[in-house]
Amino acid sequence: MILIRCPYCGELRTEDELTYGGEANIARPAETVSDEAWTDYLFMRTNPKGIHQEQWCCSAGCGQWFKVVRDTVSHRILDVWKFEEVSQAAEEVA
Amino acid sequence: MTTHGYRLPSGGRIDRTRTIAFEFNGRRLSGHPGDTLASALMANGVDIIGRSFKYRRPRGLYGAGVEDPNSMVAVRDAYGYEPALRAGQVRLGDGMQAWSVRGWPSAVFDVGGGVQLVSGLLNAGFYYKTFKWPSWSWFEPWIRRATGFGCPQAVDENRKVHHRHATYDVLIVGGGPAGLATARSLIGSGLRVFLAEDQPQLGGSLNWEAALIDGQSGSAWAASMARTLAEDSHTTILTSTTVTGAYENDHFVLVQSFWDDRGVHTECLWKLRAHHVVLATGMIERPLLFPDNDRPGIMLSGTVRRMINEFGVAPARRMAIYTNNDSGYLTALAAYRAGMAIAAVVDTRSAEAAMHATLSKEMGIPCLFDAQIQATAGYRRLATITVRQVSAVTKIACDGLAVSGGFSPCVHLAGHRGSKPVYDPTCGAFVPGDVPERWHVVGGVKATLDLSATFADAGAVAHTIRAGRGGLGSAHSPRVDVLSLGTGAIPTQPSVGSSSRMWVDFQNDVKASDIELAAREGYVAIEHLKRYTTLGMGTDQGRTSNVVGLSLLAALTNRTLSEVGTTTFRPPYTAIRLGTIANARRGDLFKPRRLFPTHGVHENRSAVFEDFGWERPDWYRSNANEREAAVALEMAAVRNHVGVFDASSLGKIEVTGPDAAKFLSRFYVSNLMTLKPERVRYSVMLKEDGVIFDDGVVSCLSDNHFLASPTSGNAEAVAAWFERWRQTEWPTMQVAISPVTANWTSIALAGPLARALLARLQPDFDISNDAFPHMQIREGTVGGVSARVARISFTGELQFEVSVQARYASSLLSTVLTAEGDLEPRPVGLEAWLRLRLEKGYLHVGSDTNGRTTPLDIGMGGIVAKRQDDFIGKRSLKLAFATSSEREQLVGLRALDGSLEVGGRILSRGHTQVPCPTEGYVTSACFSPSVGESIGLALIQRGHTRDGEVVKVFCGGTPISCRISNPIFYDPTNQRLQA
Repeated sequence: MILIRCPYCGELRTEDELTYGGEANIARPAETVSDEAWTDYLFMRTNPKGIHQEQWCCSAGCGQWFKVVRDTVSHRILDVWKFEEVSQAAEEVA
Repeated sequence: MTTHGYRLPSGGRIDRTRTIAFEFNGRRLSGHPGDTLASALMANGVDIIGRSFKYRRPRGLYGAGVEDPNSMVAVRDAYGYEPALRAGQVRLGDGMQAWSVRGWPSAVFDVGGGVQLVSGLLNAGFYYKTFKWPSWSWFEPWIRRATGFGCPQAVDENRKVHHRHATYDVLIVGGGPAGLATARSLIGSGLRVFLAEDQPQLGGSLNWEAALIDGQSGSAWAASMARTLAEDSHTTILTSTTVTGAYENDHFVLVQSFWDDRGVHTECLWKLRAHHVVLATGMIERPLLFPDNDRPGIMLSGTVRRMINEFGVAPARRMAIYTNNDSGYLTALAAYRAGMAIAAVVDTRSAEAAMHATLSKEMGIPCLFDAQIQATAGYRRLATITVRQVSAVTKIACDGLAVSGGFSPCVHLAGHRGSKPVYDPTCGAFVPGDVPERWHVVGGVKATLDLSATFADAGAVAHTIRAGRGGLGSAHSPRVDVLSLGTGAIPTQPSVGSSSRMWVDFQNDVKASDIELAAREGYVAIEHLKRYTTLGMGTDQGRTSNVVGLSLLAALTNRTLSEVGTTTFRPPYTAIRLGTIANARRGDLFKPRRLFPTHGVHENRSAVFEDFGWERPDWYRSNANEREAAVALEMAAVRNHVGVFDASSLGKIEVTGPDAAKFLSRFYVSNLMTLKPERVRYSVMLKEDGVIFDDGVVSCLSDNHFLASPTSGNAEAVAAWFERWRQTEWPTMQVAISPVTANWTSIALAGPLARALLARLQPDFDISNDAFPHMQIREGTVGGVSARVARISFTGELQFEVSVQARYASSLLSTVLTAEGDLEPRPVGLEAWLRLRLEKGYLHVGSDTNGRTTPLDIGMGGIVAKRQDDFIGKRSLKLAFATSSEREQLVGLRALDGSLEVGGRILSRGHTQVPCPTEGYVTSACFSPSVGESIGLALIQRGHTRDGEVVKVFCGGTPISCRISNPIFYDPTNQRLQA
């Protein structure tokens, strides 16, 4: 079971206290974009085996959304940060 | 030698002062507290405990615990029934009843045993090849009846169950010498330590092996350790507790049994997390292959020592030992000390290799070296073994044979975490490979056979763990004086005897010849071999058989054991009762019941409740005794005078702040920026793919204060949806979201007399049609309490929805329902309510829409086209899928003959008979009293262009004719709701 420390309330939460929100940093395009760009936004994800930036919500706790860098193989959490913050780990991976 | 049956006159850790009565297959037997069912059966001289799976061979006890492939029993104790346990797992209880799970009419005399005569038909993969002609289905019923282990029984479970969650610094799995020494060396470190032992007492093998530790017997040392650890406030010890699974992030599941003299009365499922994990699970002995190695009386060598020393039972009157390692001699010694006759020690090795051979000679035990068993005899119990040496064949009479083929470490939990066991050729065992971080492996599980080495290891592990804590505490190094188990044993292959008489997996009747056959047919990958032959797929999970099978396959395919590898280890280590996992979540406690604050008022009206997430009145017995009659009366009340409907479950989300209107507009298809205070607007909400997610009204209470009313089913989901976008996409918007669904109760008054009924509640604002028109909202005082009143309609009639704080709900509803005079308000249930809305053609999201429906399909294209700014899902409506001319679109249907049914398929044009292609389906349907016809809504391809067309709809098993129409069947000009 995945364990993540919520950056807002500071509690170490288990997977069943959290809600997964899919890949992070998917920019919502303006409605003027092409069909291809829009459907990419809707459906295309990197789905890596390994390091993944994603969104999680402390849904059974403080209700806040935040970002996480997770290794999808080992479930090791490399970093957790708030939306308005910048992650060192995420930048190194990128 | 024995005084009663096979019970030894002294010894063991049983309480001989007390006797426990139990039954086995209807026979009344007795044992002592401290016995397992296995030891008690052995003490009573029960040789045959069950029959084997395929060939129905008589089988006796083979191992003393969960590793036993043979002794499957169904057990009923004072607290419940279990269909398939191993006898060694069951603590004897007073009045316990146990049965063999196989064998008819009995395990001792089983007519199914005749199947051995046709055993050639039942080799590996037989169901793919033997029973092909004329058809597998001829044989399948017979074969299915003949298989299986035990039957479930519907009995009252008196066993209590509870769950616990815990987090510890260190989890030690196993309370044998390795676990105890590690725990002892962690005392004083300040770390919280949790030690789990699956047996009822600590000590593991020390309870039956002859060892001197710090000058005490092994069991006395274990007992003193147990006392020391119990006094330490940082150490928690759980006995009778099995760690059944290891999961990622070091999350463990444990099952703790609480038992008394009458059985297991409580089970506790622990979900435990640990920062450090010490694997001290020890090892399990494995057998040797030889012909007819499965006869009752043949068992693992360590099991013999355990039976003698822990339970005071002699497994046989005249014992032989067959071994390829030094531990067999310890068994000979234990049997000798217990006063049993020893027939011989048969050692596959040479005399020089055997380190304890002189000891046996001193005791006068004959030892045969370079020897193999080439045959055994005895049907219901072993009678003789035939031993072949290079120059001689010897027949030896014995009624028991202790077998040791070496040891297999219990690497399972590391395997659960994905750690592949690696083969260590020096000790002939698969040991844990790369274990997860902060896992430590101690003792037998890494094939350490030497007790002093185990203790040194435990000290080192404790030191490593303590180092992270500043090295507090001190190592504990016991002095050991014990006969060594030797150096382990490489799995050896037999060179005499027929492989079709050698059993590898006793439980599933997999023979050496089956593995040879599988190898010949190319099933040489270990996972294939397992599934083709069923090796290791029984309830014992091949604990004794796997390595024997692997080594045989390795020899057959000229590979090393490392190359062959093991199958995958998956949780659980032992079976967990489903009831233990379910805990209290069953019956009324399966899910919390959500009741309206007005529930009592509805009960007084004899409401018939249905669970829609909330328990809601479906119809009222106070209106009529029968559902259809009641629903008709409830509908008539709304159409002709006034009905009262409890709409409390309707979602209510307050959205406040300067950006509230802008924020909400991004979710709804309609522009809410233009919504003025006291106005209400209906709209739908999409997901980003353009598909309708929810619908409902949005009310503007003031410029900065809106109230969104999602559907009952989506109340939580919509609030979470708003919140997610606010946080992740539009964090700078000044808006706050407060879900208040349960804070407010909404009572809808619907019908021509609704205004008169509302007037009785003396609202402090003007409710006349001119002052308070349709699609508006007022805040004020109603019935003396502050209220919000929305003039909206789901029925097509004049309708007011009165919302008050939940604590006033019951009094409001009672007041409304008991209004005096000629109003005669009638309570209306959900069924009538939904039919009323269907007459009006109002959408029910989830019924009349599906996972593809867009606002264009429900006739909201005009509203979409008018929107200048963006909203969620808007861009998707321009994609080809949304604009296709083949879309299923929502229309009304009127039946011309027959009755419409929900789910009825619309036959494609030109077809009148099924089967045929279809082009849509009926989403809602009922007989409409107001229209006098069977009506429905349907999603039909190109529906919006087909008004008036007659289509065939498959309803009630036959195609009926229907006319496509405007979905608004009742009052299409909205005269009534404007009144």
